[in-house]
Order: sequence, then C-alpha cells, then structure tokens
Amino acid sequence: MKFSLLVSTSPASSQGAMTAYQFARAAVSQGHEIYRVFFYGDGVLNANALSTVPQDEINLPRAWDELLTNHNIESVACVSSALVRGILDPEESARHKMAGVSLLESTQIAGLGQLVDASIQSERLISFA
Amino acid sequence: MQQKSLTFITRQAPYGSNKAKLVIDAGLAAAVFEQQVNFLFMDDGVFQLVQNQNAESISSKTIGRALETLDLYGIEQVLVDSVSLEERDLSAEDLAIPVKILNAEQVRQLAARSDVVINL
Amino acid sequence: MNALHTISVSPTSGLLNSCLRLVCPGDGILFIQDGVYHCWPPCLVDGVSQDNALFALREDLLARGLLGKISKRITPVGFGRFVELTVDYDKVINWS
Repeated sequence: MKFSLLVSTSPASSQGAMTAYQFARAAVSQGHEIYRVFFYGDGVLNANALSTVPQDEINLPRAWDELLTNHNIESVACVSSALVRGILDPEESARHKMAGVSLLESTQIAGLGQLVDASIQSERLISFA
Repeated sequence: MQQKSLTFITRQAPYGSNKAKLVIDAGLAAAVFEQQVNFLFMDDGVFQLVQNQNAESISSKTIGRALETLDLYGIEQVLVDSVSLEERDLSAEDLAIPVKILNAEQVRQLAARSDVVINL
Repeated sequence: MNALHTISVSPTSGLLNSCLRLVCPGDGILFIQDGVYHCWPPCLVDGVSQDNALFALREDLLARGLLGKISKRITPVGFGRFVELTVDYDKVINWS
C-alpha cells in the first residue's frame, strides 16, 4: 500500500517524531511504499542536520536520513516552517545570506502543495504529533 | 488532478501555539489545489472564531484575517461543532465569520464520508 | 468508510471524548505514546461502544510499566500490527 506520513513534532521535545520513524521502518519492512514524509511545524526539526545528541541517545535526524536514503523515500520540510526554525538548504541559505546549511541531504524544502499532493496520491496519510 | 474530500479539524485556541495557523495554511493549500475542503472548528478551536480580537497587543497577527481567507479561497464548508460551542457558552452571534453549525450526527457523518482527515 | 483513531495524549486531555464525537460504529481506536494511560483503570474507556475495537501500542505500554495491567477490552499490538491496522481501516485520524 502507498503511505504518506505527516510529522509535526520535534524529536527533542516529544515522542511523536520517534513513533513516526518506528512506524515508517515497520511499513517499509512489510514491503509497503512510502510516497512522501512531510515535516510540518516543529516537525521540520527532524530534518535538522546540525542536531547533535549525547552518545547514548538516538540521533533521529541522522536515523531519518539513513532510512530515507536507503529506501529512496522522498521527504519534504515545509518551507515556511523550516525557514523560521533555521532549517535551510544551500539555496535558502544563500538567498537569506546565512552562514550555513542545516537541512538533511535526503530532504527537500517545498511548500504545502506537497502535503496536498501526498494526501491525494497516497492511499493512507498517517499523522504523528 | 484527482479530487479527494479533505477534512481539516482545528482544535486549538489561536495564539498560545502556532497550531491554529498550521491548520489554516494546510486547508488553504488544499483549496488552491482544488480539493473538496471541509474546515471544522472543534474544542478550543472555536475560540479562533470569537469576535473583537486584536492580537496587536501581543505582537501577533489577529487570527480573524486568516480566517476570512478561507472564504476567499473558495472553501464553502466552514463548519463548527455545536457541542464545542455549547461547552464554552458561545453561540452563532458571538462568531466573527459566517459558519455552518453541525450537530453531533452531522459531525460524525462528516468524518465518515471524508477521504482524509487532518487533525493537527 | 471506517477510521482508525490514534490517541497519543493522556486521559487528562479529555481527547477521548472529542474523538468519540467522530467515532462511527466499526471504527477502531489505538492508544499510542501517552495515550496508553487510557488502558487502566478500565472505567476510562467505559464511554466507548462495544462496536469499537480498542488497541494499544505494546512498545508504549512496556515503556510505561503498563503491559501487565490493562483493561481486558484493549488488545496490545506491536508496530507491525499498527501498520496492518492502518491498512485494515480506510483512513487514520490522529488525536494529539
């Protein structure tokens, strides 16, 4: 079945992001397709490549990056949510004359049209908060 | 483009968190892509509809302006859960924009017939 | 079209009552994250009709020390079954 995921909480402040990741892993292990993971609101912090965590904790952005890359899953950070939280790709970083890039390589910055498209194209949209 | 019925449920009060704005933005995007959009106010979400708000005092944008855009984007189904209004002692006259008030059975039917329900 | 409702916050939120306003006969409810605190005492789910199946995510029960003590009406499920449930029902509605 074709799934999309909507993730709207930050890995650092609530469990929802980890639940979404665990669900995504279980879905791909059953052979399902994940059409898109859409990070919205605080959820864009899942795509923060600059996040560092203590050694005995899971770095969720890094875990997402691996999962998304290995299974060729498209992921999108909502542009308005991302910019205000300092999640920038090279293009946005240059446009706003910022010092660095913070978006995971596996994720793109795009608008809410991608969430609507995911709702239309997928057989299930699963939200995690 | 394929059309689905997408129901957005907004359940948070307007200024304490950004959830209300997130739901409005998502609903407007769905309208732009010509989906069949239902926008339902429920629980504390009905506080977004109260008249005479002015959020300049807290350096925020008054939610009413964003709510008026629902109509501008062609969203006809702007709906309110009657139970949520009653629980807060609010009635249709207290609300800033025109809405359809749904009784319990209509709310249940709305959820049942929607293809996708986004409840942030 | 039946829905699977996922509830991810504790009973203090009152969200089960909000959720029940949308629940139709045949819908299912899955408690996840802090939502699993709905699993005990059993009276917390008294308002849910027998027409609605109740599930709770095993990993979240285990983490919170609840696995051995949940209402008989509620079926513990792992992530694999969570995925299957989202396929079995026609749509998924999250409450958080």
